[in-house]
Amino acid sequence: MSTATRSELEARARAAAAAVEDPEFPRVTVEHLGMLQAVRVDEGAGEVEVDLLPTFLGCPALDVIAADVRAALTGLSGVRRVQVAFVSEPVWTPQRITPEGRRRLAAEFTVAVPGSLGAPPCPVCSSGAVEPRSPFGPTACRAIAYCPDCRNPVEVIRR
Amino acid sequence: MRSWASLEDFEAFLDEGGIVEPADDMPDEYRAEVFRFIEMHANSELMGGLTERDFIPRAPGMRRKLAVLAKTQDEIGHAHLLYMVAADLGIKTRDQMLEDLLAGRTKFHNVFHYKCETWADQVAIAYLVDAAALTTQQAVFKECSYGPYKRILRRIIAEEGFHMRQGEEMLLTLADGTAAQHSMFQQALERWWWPVMHFFGPPSKAHDKLLRWHIKSAGNEELRDRYVQKFVPLLKEYGFEIPDPELRHEGGRWLIGDIDWEPLLATQRNVGPDSARRIATARTAWEEAAWVRRALDAAAPRAGAAA
Repeated sequence: MSTATRSELEARARAAAAAVEDPEFPRVTVEHLGMLQAVRVDEGAGEVEVDLLPTFLGCPALDVIAADVRAALTGLSGVRRVQVAFVSEPVWTPQRITPEGRRRLAAEFTVAVPGSLGAPPCPVCSSGAVEPRSPFGPTACRAIAYCPDCRNPVEVIRR
Repeated sequence: MRSWASLEDFEAFLDEGGIVEPADDMPDEYRAEVFRFIEMHANSELMGGLTERDFIPRAPGMRRKLAVLAKTQDEIGHAHLLYMVAADLGIKTRDQMLEDLLAGRTKFHNVFHYKCETWADQVAIAYLVDAAALTTQQAVFKECSYGPYKRILRRIIAEEGFHMRQGEEMLLTLADGTAAQHSMFQQALERWWWPVMHFFGPPSKAHDKLLRWHIKSAGNEELRDRYVQKFVPLLKEYGFEIPDPELRHEGGRWLIGDIDWEPLLATQRNVGPDSARRIATARTAWEEAAWVRRALDAAAPRAGAAA
């Protein structure tokens, strides 16, 4: 087993896992969300292990995400066994969402991701800060806010 | 703020795919029509959420409970967002909309006026009713001319897609299960098929303002037909019988029998089979949660920091 082929399979496995989309945000992937923690490959045994970080414990989509990752990897040539696990270290925070993930969440779903300081700008009109309205949005991971400038209700990923 | 010299100019703007924003000086009739539509949608999400909530303790197993719990939060969250958009139109405040709903003065979708007898009813709602709602929401989203509503629909549709997946899994469990499970869903299908057909509404009139102003993109009849073509074969494949003796397959299309509209009219007057109990349940939920709202209001400055 050469290093070159192992890294080739590893690259393919990583790309396949990374491309899996969030079941509630089509076109936003587990990689965009910063959920893909590690991909380990044992080429000889054809084994792939994936570690995912749950955004929120108790999220009802976790089973579906794990099943989608498993399905994406099972179809790859050279893969005989896939293991997907959720790990709790490091702790997921919205800071892990990539710039492209933030762009898609804002542009396609008008969902804002808070930065390290204060409320995020409005995902609709980019004006100053949105006003929090309810910490309870349609999912455990999202709060409801309102932009006084463009008068749109928007959602904010919770820390 | 944009304004239009005449209704014709405004309609030309809409016909070109123009999107109306809250600050725009939109025609009063348009504002009223959009408001009425979104208020009804918000009411239905709230009443739907309460239906889901009833099933949290009754869901079989932890995974199903989590799914129902998430759906409850989902519908209530949608109601919250939709009431914000509706209130922003300046016709009624959120409190007025809730008072009207809880006093039985306004409407909510017909499917929430019926009793849920068994877990299979919940599965029928998750699979058949949600798919009907998704069909209509996709048609509204496609051309929706009111910006804030269109943006919320984008997210609602993505989330409903996820819940449909869970609904399908729940249906398959019953369809592939024991004879008792299969028969339990067959019985639920007999209760829900016609209400789902009613859900799409009576045939749209030629001068329907919702179509004219690009709030809807397809007539009721067309959407019902789209649904029938997709779900009749699926349900038959799972071994279920559609409770329509006139259902037939002609020229490659499924045709349903004549629809009796009386039950729909009853739900629209809030006198459907379970309307009174549903409204009373919603009123109780509202009254019993008053202390939570007071506590949140008292903590408002800190609640701000939390989001």
